[in-house]
Amino acid sequence: MDSRRLVAAGIVLAILIAIGAVYLASPAPDGLESTALVVQGDKTLTGDTPPDAEVREDVAGRFTFESLLPDYSLGDAWGKPGEILALSGGILLMVLLIYGISRLMARPAK
Amino acid sequence: MHIPDAFMPIPQGIIYWAIALVFIALSLRWVRQEMDETKVPLVAILAAGIFVIQAFNLPVALGTSGHLVGGALAAIVLGSPFAAVFILSLVLIVQGVIFGDGGITTMGVNILNMGVIGGFVGYYSYHGLLAATRRVNLSAFAAGWLACVIPALAAVVELWIAGTFPLNLGLVAMGLYHALIGIIEGGITVVALRLIASVRPDIVNISNEVTA
Repeated sequence: MDSRRLVAAGIVLAILIAIGAVYLASPAPDGLESTALVVQGDKTLTGDTPPDAEVREDVAGRFTFESLLPDYSLGDAWGKPGEILALSGGILLMVLLIYGISRLMARPAK
Repeated sequence: MHIPDAFMPIPQGIIYWAIALVFIALSLRWVRQEMDETKVPLVAILAAGIFVIQAFNLPVALGTSGHLVGGALAAIVLGSPFAAVFILSLVLIVQGVIFGDGGITTMGVNILNMGVIGGFVGYYSYHGLLAATRRVNLSAFAAGWLACVIPALAAVVELWIAGTFPLNLGLVAMGLYHALIGIIEGGITVVALRLIASVRPDIVNISNEVTA
């Protein structure tokens, strides 16, 4: 497969994964969050996660930062289509970043 | 496995940032020396794929979900652990700054865990197992699994030093959950490696590796 087709196919596949992520991803906490909940006493090691369990992140003296699009979302008004757009924007940004850096740094093909 | 800012004191985060920056500089040297123009499209697609698949959490039982990290995959496909450092660093910077997934002061430790430890463990375990067994699927699966579990255990030690997790409970919980999540990591590593080798055998030639 030539490079142009590879990039196009890869972007399409990534956007399909983004759609799957928005509609099909598990709402359960990931491994680090589950461990934090176990440490907090809000979850047992092998049990299900209670629906109202939340990882405590309000620790005094720690750095706080408000990201541009928290939780891969454009906000409640945009709903799930906004999440697909946010993820798709991230996909295109990754491709542009790699091409930009490679244009500056990568060597020409032999 | 994205450690948020709240889980680590700022001075410790700065120390991990300093360590990560050394590896980021080495990965940029890899870009300059090893990444020629023929590899750029594959690197771009790998970066985009790893970015988006990290947002796709799959259920793994025990009330937990997990996703691909991608360090082993990037290192195996591109033939260097520094490729994983390069790609995972960019993915984690975009995730942290734009999407709030992982912290800013903890971005260094996240790069260290997922990019550096994941990349090096994935790359060397794959090639060690391949030399021993000559089985690509088994080697790639085990490399993916190890590149998920060992960074998770490293994160426990770092968070124990930070005073966030107790060591024993942290190791048991993170080890257990990531032993399950590692099955996803290993499986996707095998499938993606096979897929990429089938479309770009000029860059990823599995058959040569097995018969060499």
